[in-house]
Amino acid sequence: METAYPPDRHLLRDLRLSFEHSDDRTSRASMPVVPELCASDGAVRAGALATLVDVIGGGLAASVAHPGWIATADLTLHLVRAATHGTVEAHARVVHAGRTTVVIEVGLYDGAGLELGFATMSFAVLPRRESNPDISTSMTTGSASMARAGSRMHAPLLDELGVHVVDRARGELEVPVADWSRNSFGAMQGGAVATIADAAVEAAARAATGVELIVTDLQVTYLALARVGPICTRVEVLGVAPDAVTARVELLDVGAGSRVTTLARVVATSSLAAVP
Amino acid sequence: MTDSRAAETDHDFGGPETGREVSRYVQAELHEVEHPDGDGPRVVGHAPASAHLRRPGGGVRGGALLTMLDNVGGLCGGLAALPDGWVVSTNLSARTIALDHVGPFRIDARVLRQGRASVVTAVEIRDEGAGDAIVVDGVLTSAILVPENGPPRWDRPLVLGPGAPLVEPVPTIPDWLGARAIDDSSVEMPLADALRNPWGILHGGAVASLVDLAAEHVGGGVTTDVVLHFLAPNRVGPVRAVARAMGSRSDGTVLRIEVRDEGADRVTALAVATSAPVNAAPER
Repeated sequence: METAYPPDRHLLRDLRLSFEHSDDRTSRASMPVVPELCASDGAVRAGALATLVDVIGGGLAASVAHPGWIATADLTLHLVRAATHGTVEAHARVVHAGRTTVVIEVGLYDGAGLELGFATMSFAVLPRRESNPDISTSMTTGSASMARAGSRMHAPLLDELGVHVVDRARGELEVPVADWSRNSFGAMQGGAVATIADAAVEAAARAATGVELIVTDLQVTYLALARVGPICTRVEVLGVAPDAVTARVELLDVGAGSRVTTLARVVATSSLAAVP
Repeated sequence: MTDSRAAETDHDFGGPETGREVSRYVQAELHEVEHPDGDGPRVVGHAPASAHLRRPGGGVRGGALLTMLDNVGGLCGGLAALPDGWVVSTNLSARTIALDHVGPFRIDARVLRQGRASVVTAVEIRDEGAGDAIVVDGVLTSAILVPENGPPRWDRPLVLGPGAPLVEPVPTIPDWLGARAIDDSSVEMPLADALRNPWGILHGGAVASLVDLAAEHVGGGVTTDVVLHFLAPNRVGPVRAVARAMGSRSDGTVLRIEVRDEGADRVTALAVATSAPVNAAPER
């Protein structure tokens, strides 16, 4: 593992995100739509959007909790339209900042301002440790980006994460905890975790229905850091309708005694209408 | 028994026997049971699928199911927080799978994670009269607070009965809350003392029920999916939920819902809900 964070080749650089932080407890971020982030319907997959939400929401929460630090407790995402081209804009706002918790809402829009979806995140506020990154410089107001000159996705998102399908019908995946997707704690980044939940349920939902359903909702509860790997998924399909599947997925860190790191409820539906 | 967020509370905790009117309305009976893995407390509740909790001609309303989730999950989290403190709900997320119900319901809560400041519980509601079909799958997160007069003292293992029988005719949920539509996007209710929890603020189940009614009012369907963040206590009233449809998809309309304590002039909760068409094919 490299010492500088993030390393030159990293999820947060290769997504080519750009940020704009304001001093009114809001932040904006933008992510270009590229084929590598899209699911089989040609739209950006829920997991990639959750990664955008996690980055902008986490940064904003860390800034309001400063000098304390934060741990992500949960992330929810509901999509209403498909992002197929241009950019996805994320507008984040603090809706609660207390002594022990911070709650953020994030609206997702296309480049023309049409609503794509809505996300919420909550965070536990923790005492600062020496190992926590200093965000006081990275959260200064104005525009910023973590992308380097050559940063780009080299392969589809699931391939970049190293997702190995163990049993497609059961939604069993195995994924390493690699430098490309680690967060500043050395564990798998929260958006990458959500992407694995997305991919696991997508596979199981398609097996359950025979239809190419797309993940549209994520309710992710983070229970522990996924530090060691490989990360394995365990999916239980809870309900199947002609146009929707609801499933519960657990992510287990096999290298850490198969500890359950994440619990998510995921909804997959037929394709969303694309923005014009 | 559990509570929408009581942060900023300046009230004593009313004790275990106060604020039980919401629990009584859903006739929930709760039992602490031994966890098979010895991993934190586990609470199992039972509640009937009563006529007064149902939509006209349909299953039990989402708000009633979320009240059961909040009751049982919160009690489980509270027992985990003892002896240091008690809990207030900070957020819940849940998906309703079965929309038609036979009853009785079994509500099963277990601790997923416990820290110094919060407890996360998984809650599952099953329909014992429908072959144990899953009805709701959800998670409740609660903050641990220390009441000024100390945490409640319970005899363990804890058993809580449903309370006194309800007097017929039992009001439907909108009538019980006193909720009424204000305009095309809003539903409002007074803050009746009977709906306060032991912290003296509006019970989380009542907030969830108001959110459900607002989703139904604007979305026109049955609430299948709710994410609800409790941001501040509802202490004054009236309490108003304003819903905005963000877009529709094959399984329903997705709404953003904001709850305000109008008397205190502040936002007290933020929710996202999915409202499915009433005639939607059920998940099996």
